[in-house]
Amino acid sequence: MIDTRKLTRRDHVIGATLGLIYVAALLHTAPDLAMSRDESFYVHAAKNIAGWLSELLTDPASALDPDHIARAWRYNWEHPAWMKLMFAWSWLAQEHLGLFPRDSLAFRFPGMLTAGLLLWLIYAWGASVMGRSGAIFASVAFATMPRVFYHSHLACFDVPIAFFTTLTAYAYWRALVDRRWIPVLGLAFGIALATKHNSWMLPGIFIIHFAVLHADQARAVVEERTPMTWLASMLVVGPLFFIVTWPWLWHDTWNRIGAYVTFHLKHVHYTYQFLGVSYFEPPLPFSVPFVMTLFTVSAVVLALAVAGIFFERLELRFPWRLNPGDPTTRRTDLLWLGCLLAPLLAIALPSSPIFGGTKHWLGAYPFLALFAGRGLLAVAERANLGPWLGRQWPSRAFAIFCLLPGAIQTAHSHPFGLSHYMPMAGGVPGAADLGMNRQFWGFTTGSLTEWLIEQLPDGGSVWLCDTTAGAWAMLQADGAVPHNIRAARSMSEADFALVHHEQHFAEVDYQAWVAYGTSRPAHVLSYDGVPIISVYENPARHERGGAH
Amino acid sequence: MAEAARKLSLASWAWVLFAALAAFELLADPVIRAAIPREEAWRQASAFVRERFEPNDRIVAAPAWVDPIVRGELGDLTELRIAALPDRAGVGRVWELGIRGATTFDAAPALERNFAGVRVRMWPVESPKIIYDFVTRIREAEVEIDTDAGPLACAWTRGRAAPGGLERGPMMPAERFVCDRARPWLWVGPTILADLELQPRRCIWQHPAGPDAVRTTFIDVPLGERLVVRGGIDYQVARRRYHAPVTLRVWIDDEIAAELVHHDGDGWSGLDIDTSAHRGSDASVRFETTTSDPYARLFCFAASTQTEAPRD
Repeated sequence: MIDTRKLTRRDHVIGATLGLIYVAALLHTAPDLAMSRDESFYVHAAKNIAGWLSELLTDPASALDPDHIARAWRYNWEHPAWMKLMFAWSWLAQEHLGLFPRDSLAFRFPGMLTAGLLLWLIYAWGASVMGRSGAIFASVAFATMPRVFYHSHLACFDVPIAFFTTLTAYAYWRALVDRRWIPVLGLAFGIALATKHNSWMLPGIFIIHFAVLHADQARAVVEERTPMTWLASMLVVGPLFFIVTWPWLWHDTWNRIGAYVTFHLKHVHYTYQFLGVSYFEPPLPFSVPFVMTLFTVSAVVLALAVAGIFFERLELRFPWRLNPGDPTTRRTDLLWLGCLLAPLLAIALPSSPIFGGTKHWLGAYPFLALFAGRGLLAVAERANLGPWLGRQWPSRAFAIFCLLPGAIQTAHSHPFGLSHYMPMAGGVPGAADLGMNRQFWGFTTGSLTEWLIEQLPDGGSVWLCDTTAGAWAMLQADGAVPHNIRAARSMSEADFALVHHEQHFAEVDYQAWVAYGTSRPAHVLSYDGVPIISVYENPARHERGGAH
Repeated sequence: MAEAARKLSLASWAWVLFAALAAFELLADPVIRAAIPREEAWRQASAFVRERFEPNDRIVAAPAWVDPIVRGELGDLTELRIAALPDRAGVGRVWELGIRGATTFDAAPALERNFAGVRVRMWPVESPKIIYDFVTRIREAEVEIDTDAGPLACAWTRGRAAPGGLERGPMMPAERFVCDRARPWLWVGPTILADLELQPRRCIWQHPAGPDAVRTTFIDVPLGERLVVRGGIDYQVARRRYHAPVTLRVWIDDEIAAELVHHDGDGWSGLDIDTSAHRGSDASVRFETTTSDPYARLFCFAASTQTEAPRD
């Protein structure tokens, strides 16, 4: 069952270079993005955890006291520990060494790092089973998905879990032929479990894949069958790592695990606009993850991925099509297909809680990109471009040409990543016509800071709508807004009130009309002509002498 | 050799298809962006409307998602009553500022001009004339709530407005009738409701207290041909469609004139009460809300006495 190429030092140089360039790009563009709602919660949690880690280093006995653990870990108990620990360590490094130019970057850096590592991993896995150019294409195609680029900046769990699920799948794939990878698989799965609950679906994917593999081997009468020891590693090391890294679970363990699982199985439903309808309770249309993928990923990358699946269809055939003595493989493409479809189907299921955002199925996209790499090579090979024109450059030019739409759109999407839609949707205005979700999390306030500073040269207050007080405090800590422009608790007390445009936020618009007696916003922040935030000015501000 | 050439040709076409898809994405992007009207176009179109604007004109946006931009340019011209129209009365003309070929009316406009992608159109409309708008005159009303000890008057108060925010319902204004400080939602006053279609509706908030009535009485109300009443429940609540119905009873001079039973899911709805027999006279008009269970009954109504607009 040899169906892989050994990776060389050159491969790792290429992979690492891709990752480093990406992290550099993320670091360079991060100041344009205000923190999102969820980031502000994780920052708060990370600061609590950093305090606990400091105590653990200086006074371990106190730190391990159940009350101390509860005090540090109770906040945001619904998410496991791994990335929050990384954010906390990074924050401690910032506090003691001042490593980062801005506080927000200290929290975001671990997430960025996982994005860079994911590019390396996509390349490495791709280069193990196909030509280097296909692997590079896959890695860059993933990097230049606008929504991936946005989420890669954040101190959140979505890109990290995409990395750790891909890493777990890779370790499983390696472990099928190399026992040394079995403990690595358990560890990778443990980190995935300790990052986000998306990891729960991995054993199911692997068991289905393994069942097909076993059926192949039985059908082909292979004497030495692949052992199932990998599963034991996952089921023992994984949960152990999950609990060991999450002090919240060290006491009242079963109740707290139960609460964690229940929280996500019975998750509250977010309101999410899709094709003109704001869904607030299940079922969300089955098509949501597929249409959103069509509208937010480059069409040519999608088409190449479909071509990749088509050209590898022999790898996807049923086991009963094999004959005794036929060679068997690791069914890499079947594994990829499982990892691609599972996150999409999990959201598409009518019983799933309403989440909506593409971030919830980002874990599918590394495999989409890998299939696109397959497709690129297959198309170029069958077109016979190089020999046909007597040069190698046509194949390379073709690859670059296919990456350009994603790259250009990614550059254009920043810093409005969640508002961005590809030309397939008619761009941003086309998506507005179609009634697609405009944004969430309130991070677009970061694009208003200059205007607010101009309006409030002597300070004042802003009612922040969907932006959290924590996210605003981070803008202040980063120096993006001065401390004398504070977050107001009430519209009527504020100098300005923001309204982030989402369909179901209409009531907030009308609240501002009543509060200020006018329907006229003082300023409308737009992206490609589509309103993102309306800013209303409090007429009382003039009476207070705050206006200039 | 010929077979090989034929295969090469087919394969090359497949390659060209993918290249064409990439080219489509690359070319569509600047085309999409070039079609976005510039700020200058919005300003010119707005200046054109501003010059010709008359009181009672209504300004709408097409498609609806450009509404914030249109209000940003011309929102100061429009009263909240017209921006958050409860019914079709009191509107003289409709101005539409539209882009991308979108429209709100199918009829041919009386006037049309284009400003670099922003299309201005105007339609004169025939709508009833408002004689008395209860929402505007709410401060003149008397409000009371039934209690075990008898009716309790609610005082017009200047207090703290609601902070605002998602799922907080219509804004509680600073000035309002306050009925029970222990039940902060039990106030009566003007606000704007997001109806089931998320449309703004200027209205009187009158959250029912339960089976005990909340009453708002207006005296010396001039009557016309109709008393038009519309009501609804806040979008965030009404969309769930599982709370108790709200009953709104309308009394004219101590006689019940109509009863509206509003269920979640009815949307912004109501009734037209024929008052032609009392046309030209004054009367006291009372609005009374009750419900079997007051939980989350974020009810708001608008009413006006109306007469047909005189024809030119």
